[in-house]
Amino acid sequence: MKSLTIEHLQKTYFDPYAGKQVTAIRDISLTVAAGDFVSVVGPSGCGKTTMLNMIAGFLPPTAGAILVDGHAVSGPGPDRGVVFQSFALFPWRTVLDNVAFGPKMRGVPKAQRHEIAREYLALAGLAHAAERYPNELSGGMQQRVGVVRALANEPDVLLMDEPFASVDAQTRMTLQEELTRIWAERKPTVLFITHDVNEAVFLSNRVIVLSQGCVLDDVAVELPRPRAWNALIEDAAFKALAARVLQQVRAA
Amino acid sequence: MTPAAVSSWQRLWGAYVRWTARAPALATLVPFVPVVVLWAAVARAGIFPPVFFPGPVEVIQKFGTLLANGILPAYLEDSVVRLAAGAAVGMALGIPLGLLVGLSDRAHRALWPVLLFFQAIGDIAWLPILLIWFGFGLTTMIFVIVYTVLFPVVLNTVLGVRSVPLELHRAALSLGASQARVVWEVVLPGALPNIMTGLRNGLGFGWRALIAAEIIVGTSGIGFLMFDARRAGSVVEIMLGMIVLGVLWYVVDSWVLAPIERATGERWGLVHR
Repeated sequence: MKSLTIEHLQKTYFDPYAGKQVTAIRDISLTVAAGDFVSVVGPSGCGKTTMLNMIAGFLPPTAGAILVDGHAVSGPGPDRGVVFQSFALFPWRTVLDNVAFGPKMRGVPKAQRHEIAREYLALAGLAHAAERYPNELSGGMQQRVGVVRALANEPDVLLMDEPFASVDAQTRMTLQEELTRIWAERKPTVLFITHDVNEAVFLSNRVIVLSQGCVLDDVAVELPRPRAWNALIEDAAFKALAARVLQQVRAA
Repeated sequence: MTPAAVSSWQRLWGAYVRWTARAPALATLVPFVPVVVLWAAVARAGIFPPVFFPGPVEVIQKFGTLLANGILPAYLEDSVVRLAAGAAVGMALGIPLGLLVGLSDRAHRALWPVLLFFQAIGDIAWLPILLIWFGFGLTTMIFVIVYTVLFPVVLNTVLGVRSVPLELHRAALSLGASQARVVWEVVLPGALPNIMTGLRNGLGFGWRALIAAEIIVGTSGIGFLMFDARRAGSVVEIMLGMIVLGVLWYVVDSWVLAPIERATGERWGLVHR
């Protein structure tokens, strides 16, 4: 796993309906250390998804640099794995072949990439669903597949764009706990975008608050791991941190 | 209130639903029973002269004769081969063209209005000029079928390509796929349900165009059989031709197209029945 650095990232685009330039990202610099888990929170319209799309290479930045392990990157690539809010699984491939997709693109032979896929499915407790199609799974299970599909390709950095926003509240808590467990096991470098303050504090080592295209605050979360909702939901330190971040997001 | 008694109609309906669930072929055949009975009754009543309005028995007898002397199988083969050849060429041209227009904004801007224009000129409207260019032959017929199959396939492929969610492109790219592999791995399967719809429409139109072309151009085929029968004043043969057309379309649809759709779009949850 490698580090991720963003230097003076900017994004403006021309809005043909308003007839003027719109600034989505004013100036953002941040570094995610190798193996760290960092969340970005902010109100809608603060530019957090635009930022992720630029890091993933889906949108070109207006100015600034994106570095993975110190090397500038542009355009999408397998060094930056992405987990999407809409899951973005391939409906015409089985769960196994979805997870094996990245290795397949790398040219890993079939038997070997299926072995890799089975290993990662087992990591998320999905071994039994390997031969099923995504539309046969619940939303929570689909996003488990989405997470291990990105991990199975062994990216340098894992980018997660509000991945649990479209599953129900109970499933979301389970998925968050599973993600902290998987992260502890594999230690990927994670940049996690969310509008849910509790989620950000629960998952991360650092929470970055974004406002109007700038970094408003950078909060260290030094809660012990492993983390579980049953313990943390009434934990004073957790509540104090979450309250601090929430106030900033609401003021932003 | 007491629960209403189950009427004998409801009992009969229940039995019908259970039978057809066990043998789906019944569900197709049973609705034709009243149609055939009505046809037989009108023919038997003698309202029209039998030569003008023959009954089912005469048509079945004619079917037997034409089957025995080999005319019907030979003509049927001619028509089906023409349709299959035209459909194959139409797809071979239509799917790549649809991918191009669906994926490239420039190609879309340049070609879309032209496609809509030529789609509007119906297949049969081409026949006068084709007859002058190519004469009364196979080239003319194949041209008409390819033309008819091509446009529904192109237009629906474009629709399908554009309906593939952007996130799926992005997911494939960030898993290491090249642009060319995205077309093969994401765009084509994502567009497949629409391509099938295009093919279904194209074959339906193509089948009709073929019969029309055979009537005007033909020296063989089901359309020719019917038009030739008109010359001889044989309503029995014309009716037989019409029935063959209907049955054949049903067979193509339920034995070829529907199974492909069940194995792809419906299986993947892209299309709901």
